[in-house]
Amino acid sequence: MSHANRATEFNKDESKVNWHDKALWYVREKRDKSAHNVQGWEYLRQLGSGIKANVLSNLDEYLVQFESNAKSNGVQVHWASNAQEHNEIVSSILDRHNAKKVVKSKSMLTEECHLNPYLEAKGIEVVDTDLGERIVQLAEEPPSHIVLPAIHKTKEEVDELFQEHLGTKPSGGNPEYLVGEARKHLRDKFMKADAAITGVNFAVADTGGVVVCTNEGNADMGVHLSKVHIACMGIEKIIPKEKHLGVFLRLLARSATGQPITTYSSHFNKAEEGKEMHIVIVDNGRTEQLSREDFRASLHCIRCGACMNTCPIYRRSGGHSYDYTIPGPIGSILSPGKDLKKHSSLPFASTLCGSCSNVCPVKINIHEQLYKWRQVIVQEEKQPILKKSIMKTAGVVLSKPKLYKLAGKSARFALKYAPKFMIYNKLNAWGKARDLPEVKNDNFDDWYKKRNKNG
Amino acid sequence: MIGIKKEIKMGREAILKSIKKNKPELLPLPDINEEAFDESIDLIETFKSNIAIVGGTVREVDKETIDAEIKEQYPNKTNIISTTNKSILGTVQVDKSTDPHNLENIDLAIIEGDLGVSENGAIWVTANSSIIRVLPFITNDLVIILEKEKIHLHMLEAYDQIAQRDRNFGVFISGPSKTADIEQCLVVGAHGAMSLTVLLV
Ligand code: SF4
Repeated sequence: MSHANRATEFNKDESKVNWHDKALWYVREKRDKSAHNVQGWEYLRQLGSGIKANVLSNLDEYLVQFESNAKSNGVQVHWASNAQEHNEIVSSILDRHNAKKVVKSKSMLTEECHLNPYLEAKGIEVVDTDLGERIVQLAEEPPSHIVLPAIHKTKEEVDELFQEHLGTKPSGGNPEYLVGEARKHLRDKFMKADAAITGVNFAVADTGGVVVCTNEGNADMGVHLSKVHIACMGIEKIIPKEKHLGVFLRLLARSATGQPITTYSSHFNKAEEGKEMHIVIVDNGRTEQLSREDFRASLHCIRCGACMNTCPIYRRSGGHSYDYTIPGPIGSILSPGKDLKKHSSLPFASTLCGSCSNVCPVKINIHEQLYKWRQVIVQEEKQPILKKSIMKTAGVVLSKPKLYKLAGKSARFALKYAPKFMIYNKLNAWGKARDLPEVKNDNFDDWYKKRNKNG
Repeated sequence: MIGIKKEIKMGREAILKSIKKNKPELLPLPDINEEAFDESIDLIETFKSNIAIVGGTVREVDKETIDAEIKEQYPNKTNIISTTNKSILGTVQVDKSTDPHNLENIDLAIIEGDLGVSENGAIWVTANSSIIRVLPFITNDLVIILEKEKIHLHMLEAYDQIAQRDRNFGVFISGPSKTADIEQCLVVGAHGAMSLTVLLV
């Protein structure tokens, strides 16, 4: 199924889509306010981008340095070429400790590797402890956003899920009550856990330590209460020096939610006495992406989610419509590298407005990469698939006036020229569009038909 | 086990080889010009307002009135751990060998922060000052005592300050634990402390 079809599915519940759209735009606005409060913000982004570019150009050396520093702190370091190896390594560590109950804190990498089903098949209980992740885990769904995993769920839906799985009372979706119940439920899991698995936000080459950022405190509750900590990271999480955290931690939370920093930024260098710490370094397609000159900058990503919050297509199509672990604009440039055929509709799930590139804290040229993937796909895929179903993507989401209110002239102008990424700054109008006149129902289709005829 | 070890080794070599082959030419590591972030702001006032933004409470107190202030803020606490000699309110004793699970019912923890960051209200707390790593997270409420002179402008300055530490575990804490995972409604008190009070001395 293409992105367009799945987006159509999401658009069936109009009020929910409108809420989703607004909620994410609100997060984007918080990001703006927060960024404007920082003296030298643009320079900070430049530094973030420059440091990441250096990292990629020297990644092997940094990884070796990181490994040797971690080892000298008593941390055990493992390397996995792919998801299968990653899962086997994690499982073998758990086996050695006879660990049957595992608490996990947010890690898109373990999602990517499908670690949960792998461990569950071996009789291990894996509990996702970030509240949003727990919600989607109970619903047996993947996260729909990398920072706000349950953003597609209404509070009433959460209420029902909790009644069914946690035995809560009907509360009409009272957030305080539901969070309180989740706290009790998960505290019990933390107390009984044998092992904790976490993701990694940053791995510091010159100290061998890893940093994990959460607002809920779930990573720390898990790690400090269990005997074994397994931290799983993609190779691109490396930063050269600890001091560089001073750049990235300033960028991350502000870009993600508009907070000045996450509640907890935890620096793990050594295991607590009598405990073990493991780090699993994973490739799983990343070195291949590194080889693609046009697309390697996608590995700069620090997973803040800002490009999703700002994307007019993401906001109106929902994370699940991308059918990839990382949704949204960044997912649309990472996924074709993993499986071009399967994800060929994703680079088309964009207006190429450039808003993603404008907010990206590490200055990834996301919209240009989307355009470049389109060119690759046009060459590799047969045309009819492309034109009939793929180009529909933006159409589905944008063509319904009630669903998507576009700016008047400037937006239409931009649509007309959308594939040429010269004019996108104008397209900040996508976001401000709410106050402006609605576009006619057939606007995008018209444009597309004309475009078809012309060429 | 032998099989796994071999595989791990292959993973390492394969990854490093593939990176060597695929990486671009060496690009320079940028120098950080910290002057670009200079601001003449009132460090303490900005710090205080950021603590409020992230959901914490902050009080300026004299060293002598620390305990009176804590009692006023948290009147009905019985299981209290104080890891600092600046407060004598502790009722539960801990040392490095205490099982962290025993802290499940701690009502209040009183600890010292090593430094504060003005730009985001974060406070650096180390394993040395909390004695047991889980303490600032598992406690129901948290009080952090911080000396005013230890507030720095931004994170880059903060990292210079903590560069010489013994690296085991440390955490920047900014406010009480929180979540907005249910329809974006901010709820304070997720898995970590339900409240945070910062006492500036
Ligand atoms: S691509 Fe940029 S904006 Fe998107 S999640 Fe990654 S770092 Fe954030």
